[in-house]
This record gives sequence, structure tokens and C-alpha cells, in this order.
Amino acid sequence: MRKTGLSKWFLALMVVFLLVLAACNSESGTEGTDDSGTDSGTEEGSEGEGEEGEGESASEDGLYSIEDFQPVTTDEGEAIDGGHLQFGLVSDTVFEGVLNWNFYEGDPDSQILEWFDEALLDVDENYNYTNDGAATYEMSEDNLTITLTIKDNVNWHDGEPVKAEDWAYSFEVIGHPEYTGVRYGTSMMNIEGMEAYKNGEADSISGIEIIDEKTLSITYLEPDAGLLNSGLWPYAMPKHIFEDIPVAEMAESDAVRQNPIGFGAFKVESIVPGESVTMVANEDYWQGEPALDQLTVQVISPQTVVQALETGQVDMVDSFPTDQYPDVEESLTNVEFLGQTDLAYTYIGFKLGEWNEEEGVAEMNPDAKMADVDLRRAMWYAVDNNAVGEQFYNGLRWNATTLIPPSFPAYHDETIETPTYDPEMAKQILEEAGYVDTNGDGMRENPEGEELVINFASMSGGDTAEPLANYYMQAWAEVGLNVQLVDGRLLEFNTFYERIENDDPAIDIYQGAWGTGTAVDPSGLYSKFAAFNYPRFVNEENEELLAEGLSEESFDQAHRQEVYKEWQQLMVEEIPVFPTVYRAVLVPVNNRVQGYSIAEHWNAPHEVSVTAEEPETVE
Amino acid sequence: MWKFIVRRLIITFPQLVVLSVLVFLAAQFMPGDALTGSIGNPNITAEQLEQRREALGLNDPWYVRYGDWVSGVVQGDLGESYRFKMPVTELIGQRIVNSFWLSVVTLIFTYIIAVPLGILSGRYNDSLLDQSITGYTYVGFATPLFIFALVMLWIFGYQFGWFPTNGSVEPGLTPGTFDYVLSKLYHLILPGISMALIATVNTVQYLRSEIIDTKQRDFIITARAKGAPESRVYNRHILRNSLLPIAAFFGFEITGLIGGTIFVETIFSYPGMGQLFLESVTLRDFSTLVSVVLLFGVTAIGGALLSDIILSLVDPRIRIK
Repeated sequence: MRKTGLSKWFLALMVVFLLVLAACNSESGTEGTDDSGTDSGTEEGSEGEGEEGEGESASEDGLYSIEDFQPVTTDEGEAIDGGHLQFGLVSDTVFEGVLNWNFYEGDPDSQILEWFDEALLDVDENYNYTNDGAATYEMSEDNLTITLTIKDNVNWHDGEPVKAEDWAYSFEVIGHPEYTGVRYGTSMMNIEGMEAYKNGEADSISGIEIIDEKTLSITYLEPDAGLLNSGLWPYAMPKHIFEDIPVAEMAESDAVRQNPIGFGAFKVESIVPGESVTMVANEDYWQGEPALDQLTVQVISPQTVVQALETGQVDMVDSFPTDQYPDVEESLTNVEFLGQTDLAYTYIGFKLGEWNEEEGVAEMNPDAKMADVDLRRAMWYAVDNNAVGEQFYNGLRWNATTLIPPSFPAYHDETIETPTYDPEMAKQILEEAGYVDTNGDGMRENPEGEELVINFASMSGGDTAEPLANYYMQAWAEVGLNVQLVDGRLLEFNTFYERIENDDPAIDIYQGAWGTGTAVDPSGLYSKFAAFNYPRFVNEENEELLAEGLSEESFDQAHRQEVYKEWQQLMVEEIPVFPTVYRAVLVPVNNRVQGYSIAEHWNAPHEVSVTAEEPETVE
Repeated sequence: MWKFIVRRLIITFPQLVVLSVLVFLAAQFMPGDALTGSIGNPNITAEQLEQRREALGLNDPWYVRYGDWVSGVVQGDLGESYRFKMPVTELIGQRIVNSFWLSVVTLIFTYIIAVPLGILSGRYNDSLLDQSITGYTYVGFATPLFIFALVMLWIFGYQFGWFPTNGSVEPGLTPGTFDYVLSKLYHLILPGISMALIATVNTVQYLRSEIIDTKQRDFIITARAKGAPESRVYNRHILRNSLLPIAAFFGFEITGLIGGTIFVETIFSYPGMGQLFLESVTLRDFSTLVSVVLLFGVTAIGGALLSDIILSLVDPRIRIK
């Protein structure tokens, strides 16, 4: 008797655990970082997210489309006065707490920063600067000098006005020889006198001139069309607070970690390191007093994000694992999902050469296995990326066409015809290029009649990584190409990038992803001088177009668009890499929240309001 | 007694040196470094990345870096965390406090559960009560902590809403106030209980078998023969002798808890040492990683030492040897 009672109990417990296990299964890591600063581009995480497979997504109604989402909240209710907004940072790590634009590196920090300190220049939907922000700009005739004027009512949280010297100070800190952050990039080097200052030969940057309390001008060595496309450092640093702190110690100082200030809509009130930040409304905000009176940002584990939303513990989160969307779409009735196309794409890259360390330039190898563009094109034709998007991502990723994603509406050219799934076409191209099966094993040999085995590197992580890699290999096998995983398995993130970076000869092709950042200029990824040109692609026309896109003529928008259209076309013809899927970002927002938007160019935090004291919960 | 401790300490020293070298070598062999994750900033050229690696000393051979690091450690400087951009000592200082309190609470719960259960189970062995307690310990042995903690969080955190679900303290409270301390404690209860319910099963089992063992000893029979009441037999004679191995176990218990538990900390978004360790591995924050691992090593060795000392205090037989 006793025994049966106990075993029944066991059985019940087992069932409970089984259910929990199944529930945990679909929860995977968070999305990689998405940098919204001007330093464009971050490494996107591996192909982590996704439904585990065909199953439910095979049916028509299991599919979603980014068209059905919009980036702004639908505002229906009556807003109340004040209110306390709960913002969740979805992360399985803590936030680093480097709360200063000049020093932060992790995405969670930037999410916090955005609420209390903002860029002085606003951007439009193509991330070009406008004159609607906290400062206005004017470009000189020769496109070398930009004059910046900070609006009069822009003040730091401690009451001090945001001055021209604060902005100039930001440049001085970044250019300082002891600066520890990563913001010293090409557009910084282009400032007149920056080099001398960086090397310690000058005490100030000769190209930066403070005209009056609110006006400064910056003179550049070369005209750079990327400057007005999120290429200027738009963040000021309160000089009166930082001037006594040595630059090398700034990142660890209390002014960054304990009581940071900015001029944004909210003021930091208190920080629990790594966990949460509480903020209160900044009544002196330059765009007007915020509707909310309090804001809390707290870290939420990706395992519990759904429960946190369900119970109204948080009103919204910075990013939501899109693979969980199909599971919660019905049940999370208390939130509205906002969505937009991410500034990122996934791609298949072909190793075409090596990096020349001494000269800092990529060199193509004409004998590389993937050197034949016909082979590369056939591989593009052989894969069905729309099916990948539907099968693995429920339609929340979809076939990509060019290397400038649609999130740059003015630059992305949707008229360009790119190879899309057509296995017959792939076979035909291969036949014509001389890739035929000569030894009768069902796989094609190369034109010299030697056996062709293509080694494919793909990252591990998440449930979809493995089936996705298998899908690609099968698709290529179907057109007669023998593609095998490097080492016979998926590679862990660090190993993957180390081997790609070092041009490991064992790798012929790889699957990667890039976040493009807000600057459209792709030369950081595809110029022969770019270390991140992992395919090691070298092409004169490519270099010319990339240079043209940043040249003086390209200050003319129409010209610049034309140049980037040509560049996208060129990349479709040359195929050093081919994009596979674009992706959606989804952000759930509680029904009580109004006036919020996830669009990158949105800057109206003071208009965010709530319609009830407490977040709505699922009934 | 002192001789014993000193001798133990002398053995400890070479253990530490070997440990630190091993940790350093292992870290060296990991693919990638702290900058691997930050690649992808197209405004930064290869040259600059290389300069940064050079400046951070990432290109030096391991023995040079080891030398630098050891000379720092001797002076109490564990280096700078690349990721957090702050001294590692300060970083660990922040986290270890959290881990420490979590350990204390967990330990308290562990013993609150273990001692009565162990005694009951040992005293009434082979009864229905004993079997259900033993049943619980078997389930506890078999249950993975990360599932159990998630279930606890789901039930008591979200379904009933009795406990906070993340963090170590309510946002916005001023440190040092009564509310702050209370909130800290409140945040500790659920992760503490979750961990204790699983961690306690070892102790329950030890105690049970120890009591059953002691029960049959001759001196207990003697005590009974002398007419000592049953409660006195249990409390004075059996329990005191049965607690010996538990006391010895205590040192190890502390070690495990200082290390924090990665699962519980991640699930409850509770920033402690376990989380710090895991993050520094995945993000290749070498200076933090090496320091944290070394600290774990030191506590492990220290815990063993503590156990030995406790044991020698309560059990004179060991000391004499």
C-alpha cells in the first residue's frame, strides 16, 4: 500500500518536471547587442533564437509578418497625471554600470543611458541629422566645417547649462592619450589637429573651436559624407563634473557609476549596481516636463520575461526573444507588440583570401576554393531563405536581398534582382561553369576534375543553429555540392570568430550576422582595409564606390543614394557574401503605456504616459 | 593544536601557487579574448584593435602576464576588469556581499530543515515517517536545482506573488535604512529556501545514518540501563555524538555557498559571485575570471582547513594523532 502511494507521488512529480522541462526548452538566449550609438555595427549573437522546428509553423496561420507590426503604440485611453513606468532590461547578465556615452560598451548600459542622457542631434528615419534636436548644425560651403549650436534651454540635471565646451570636452576625452573606451574611430581621426592631440603633441584639438557659450565649430581634414549620417559624436560630457577626474579613471568614477547626470527627460535617483536604476522626471527637460514622474529600469532574466510581463512587473522590455512570440501571442493579452525591421542581416560569407597583417590590407587569393563567382552564385540560388524564415522563425525573419537592409528606407534598393531559390538555375550555372560529377558519386567535382568539398563554419547557440546549418548543407547537396561542417560540428562563438579572423584555411564558407548600426556606410565591413572584411574581398570598383559614398559629392543625398544602389548591385554581382535573412525586432509594451516608440529616430521620452496607476495584468 | 593549524597552512601555500598557474594557463588556452565580443565596430580599424590588445597586454606570453598579475596580487591589486572598467577588487567586493548573505540565509534554512528531519528520521528509522523523509531526500538528490528554482520562482514569485522575483533589493531604497535591510532579506528568502531544500538532503542523510549508528552503541545501552529518560538519551548522548560529521561538513558547505550558485543567481537575477564567474568566462574578462577562480580555490582550501579545525576541536582523538 505504502509503496504504491509513494510511486504515484513520484509519477506526478515526474510529470510536473517534464512539463517544466518542455517549457524551458523554448527559452533561449537573448539577442546579441544592438548598438544605437553612432559607432555603427556590433556583432550580432549567433543564430540563437528560433522555434525548434517545422511542427506548428508549417501551417499558414502560424506565420507572422513584420508588416503587421508598427513601431509606435496605439494610444487609445486617457492618460493620467504622472505615473511610474517599469522598464525591463532582458539580460542573463547584469548591466555593467558604465553609464556614460563615451565609455559604455554593453548594450544594457546604453538602454539605461537613453532615458537620462541623449544625443544633441536628432536623426531622421535614415539616420541623417536634423535640426529638431537639442542642437542644430550648419555645414560650411566647403563641407569641411560644421557649426553646432546648442539650444538655450538645454540644461544638465544639476542646473548648469549644457555648453559648447561640454561638447568639445567630449572630443577631448575621447581623443585623450589615456582614454580607455572604444569611441576613437575614423571620424574622430578626421578632425583637424586630433592626431597631434592624441599623440600628446598638442594640448588642445586645433580643429575644435568654441565660438560662444552655446556654439562650437569642428573642422575636418577631408569632407566626409558619412558625417551627417550619424557620423559625428553627438554626446556632450558635463565638464564641470569631470574636469577634476583623470581621464584614465573616469570610467570607474562615481560620476559615471553612482550619480551620473545628463540632460535627458529623467534624472537618475539611485542605482543598485548590476540590478536596477530608479529615475525621476526632469522638470527642466528642454522639450518640456515629462508626463511620467518616475521610471525604474531593472534587469529581467530571459527565463522569466514572459511572467514578468504577464503579471505587470514590467511595462515593457528592451528586447523580446522573438522565438517566444508564437507561444505568447494569444496569452499575453495585456501587452501590445511593437515591431520593426532590425538594423541587421544574417549572411553566408565566402573566404576569398587572407589578411595581410603587415600592410593592414586584405588580399584575394585567385586559387581559393570559392574564388569562382559562378560557384558562389549557384550556392545563393540553391537556398530558399523564405522557407528558412518561415520554418525556423515563423516569418519573423525573411529572405534578404541586398547588403543594406530595409531599415535604411532611402538607401535600400528593393528593385535590385537578387538570386532567389531556384535549384534548376543553380544546377545550370554549375554545369556551365564546369562543375560536373565525373566520378559518379552524385557530387560535383571542380572544373579540374578534382573532388570538391566545401567546409562550412557555423556558430552554435540556440535550438535552431543545428537544424539551420543542416538545412543549408542539404540544399547545397541537392544541387550536387558537397558541403561539410568544419570539424564536423558547430563552433562556439569565440572559437568561431577567432578562426574566421585568422583566416583558418580549414574554413571555406561561414554563416555570420552583422548589425549595421545607424550609419549606412558599409566600408567598415567591406573595404579592403577593414579587418572585418572577413571574406577578404578586394575589388577596385567596390573601393571606388565606398569612397564615393563618403566623398564631397555625396553630401548631395540623391547622389549618395545612387552610389549605394550601385554598390548593392555590385555586391549582388560579385557575391563575396550573400545576405540570407533580415529580421524583425519585437517589443511588448503594456496596454497602459502611451506615446512610446521603438523607432531609432524617435526622441520624445517626455511624451510617454500611462493610463493607469498600475500595469495591466493578464486576467 | 597550533602546530596542526600551522602545518595545514604550510601545505596550503604550494596548493595556491599550483592553482593559480593552472587557472592562468587554462584561461590562456581559451579561444578569443575580451575584444572578440566587441569586434564589429566598423569605425575601429584593425590597427586600433591591435593597439588596444597591446595596451591591455593581451599579446604578451602567459608567463609575463602571470608575473604582472602575481606582483599585483601580492600588493592586493587584482587588476582591472575589462568589461566593467573598474578594479576587480571593488567588483568582487560588491558581489561577494550578496553571495555572502545568500549563503548565510541558505545555511540557516539548510540546518533548520536538516536537523529536525535528520533526527526524526534517525530516531524512528524504518517507520512511515522515516520513509517519507528518505523519499524526500532521494527526490532532492535527483532534482536539478535550476529546474527546482524555476518552479519555485514560478509558483511563489509569480503565481502567488508572495516574493520578489528578481534582484537583491527593491529599486530606489537608500542603503542603510531599515527598509533597505528588510527588502534585502525579503529578496533572499525565496532563493535561499529553493537552494536549502535541495542542499539540505545531504545533511539529512548524514545525520540519519549517524544517529542510527550511534543508537546501537554500547554507551547508549548503558545510558538506557541506567534509567535515563528517552529524551535525555537522544538529546544528550546520541545527538551530540551524531553532530560530529555535520560539523566537519560545515566547512565544505561554506565553500560551496561562497562560490554562489550560478543557476539560482541567474534565475533570480541576483548579482553574486556565481553569475560574475559565468559572465567572465563567456565574455573572456580574464582578470576577473582568474581572480574569481582563485578566490574559489582559496575558499575551498580554507573551507577544508576550517573543517579540519572544527573537527579537531570537537573530536580530541584527531588532535592527538
